[in-house]
Amino acid sequence: MLLYLAGSLIGVAAIVALAGWLFGWRDAALDAERVAQALAREVPGFRAGRASPDTRAVLIEDARDGAVYLAVARGDGLVTRKLARGLGVARDGGTLTIRLRDFTLRRAHLQLADADYWEARLKGLAP
Amino acid sequence: MKPFDPVALATPAFVLLVIAEMLFVRFTGRGRFEAKDTAASLMMGFGSTIMGTAFAFIFLGFAKLIQPYALFHIGWSWPAAIACFVLDDLRYFWWHRASHRVRWLWADHVNHHSSQHYNLSTALRQPWGGFLALPGLMFLAPLVLIGFPLPMIAFVHGINLVYQFWIHTESIGRFPKWFEAVMNTPSHHRVHHAVNARYLDANYAGVFIVWDRMFGTFVAERDDDKPRYGIVGQIGSFNPLRIAAHGWVSLGSDLWRARSLKHAALYLFAAPGWSPDGSRETSDSIKARWAAAQPAMPAPVPAIGTVPVPGTAAVQSPAE
Ligand SMILES: [Zn+2]
Ligand SMILES: [Zn+2]
Repeated sequence: MLLYLAGSLIGVAAIVALAGWLFGWRDAALDAERVAQALAREVPGFRAGRASPDTRAVLIEDARDGAVYLAVARGDGLVTRKLARGLGVARDGGTLTIRLRDFTLRRAHLQLADADYWEARLKGLAP
Repeated sequence: MKPFDPVALATPAFVLLVIAEMLFVRFTGRGRFEAKDTAASLMMGFGSTIMGTAFAFIFLGFAKLIQPYALFHIGWSWPAAIACFVLDDLRYFWWHRASHRVRWLWADHVNHHSSQHYNLSTALRQPWGGFLALPGLMFLAPLVLIGFPLPMIAFVHGINLVYQFWIHTESIGRFPKWFEAVMNTPSHHRVHHAVNARYLDANYAGVFIVWDRMFGTFVAERDDDKPRYGIVGQIGSFNPLRIAAHGWVSLGSDLWRARSLKHAALYLFAAPGWSPDGSRETSDSIKARWAAAQPAMPAPVPAIGTVPVPGTAAVQSPAE
């Protein structure tokens, strides 16, 4: 039994190493364009407004209603969340840290030229 | 207990085929892999095997409990095994459909759908919490009550799961019409794993796609609507523990906050996304909005569906 478990784990490690070698480990770089396209598919009628890209995360507004979305790179995919009041928002110069009440996406750090704008924006969100 | 376990026997082949598909994808570009995603899927499969073994006694105990009430005592024979295989696939269809339409079952099955990729490693991304998805036991009961021997049920279901492994791929296009008409195929199961509104709650089949055609949940893959995989709110973690727990954590937190027993019951048994004030999306609301936005056409939207889709492959189905 132990042998079987150890064998399985070694097998998993070998396949993962091969996958890393063939396809790479790094998260894809995000840009506002890609995020806007993804949101247009997910949110009917979405129209990209102001957007601030970090390479691994993007904050973007829906030009229709001012809703704010966060997109984060995960592997070669991306994960989006509509942001609402109740976030933890902290800013240190150009670094914005967002803490979400989300079991699989707990926090995001962004390096933004306009971090002060987004800090105010996120603190003033509707519920 | 079991004469032998088809899934355990096939595991070395699974490993070789995942490696072969990775090489194929690398050199042809037909399909997508990503190392962290593959690692998460394989660890989910590993953990699922362990949890399945640890909690097998629940399913076995339940089967033994109801076995004395069986209508017949069916012995081992090829015709009986074939009948058992077909009926097991039918009950799999209903278990799978319920797993997409009932939040309590979805809390577990969501794990299988939580990858944004669709390759052979996705087949191994299996849930860990089948022992918590207790209503799933109901779907085991009919075969036992008909009187099929328990080892036979376990055996044919193992074959079923082994079949479902190879259909988790983008490397295979479509088969000849007759095959696509009868069997579950990569094309049909891609639809099941897709989050495109058109594809939600479709193709619950295990081996025979005829069940979806019969019960109105079949949707064909279209070249002009390429499947995007995963779940409606994609998860943001590759940590197997978080993946395994996330459906249960979100259900638990809703139950904790429920204002009445009725709300709690609806959180458990209504469709994923149900909320007292209707503020969340369900697959039905997403599909309705999508259908409304389509240029006038006879929208063939099945009335019933689920959220993210399908399947399962290899390792352990919560109904076991
Ligand atoms: Zn499914
Ligand atoms: Zn599947």
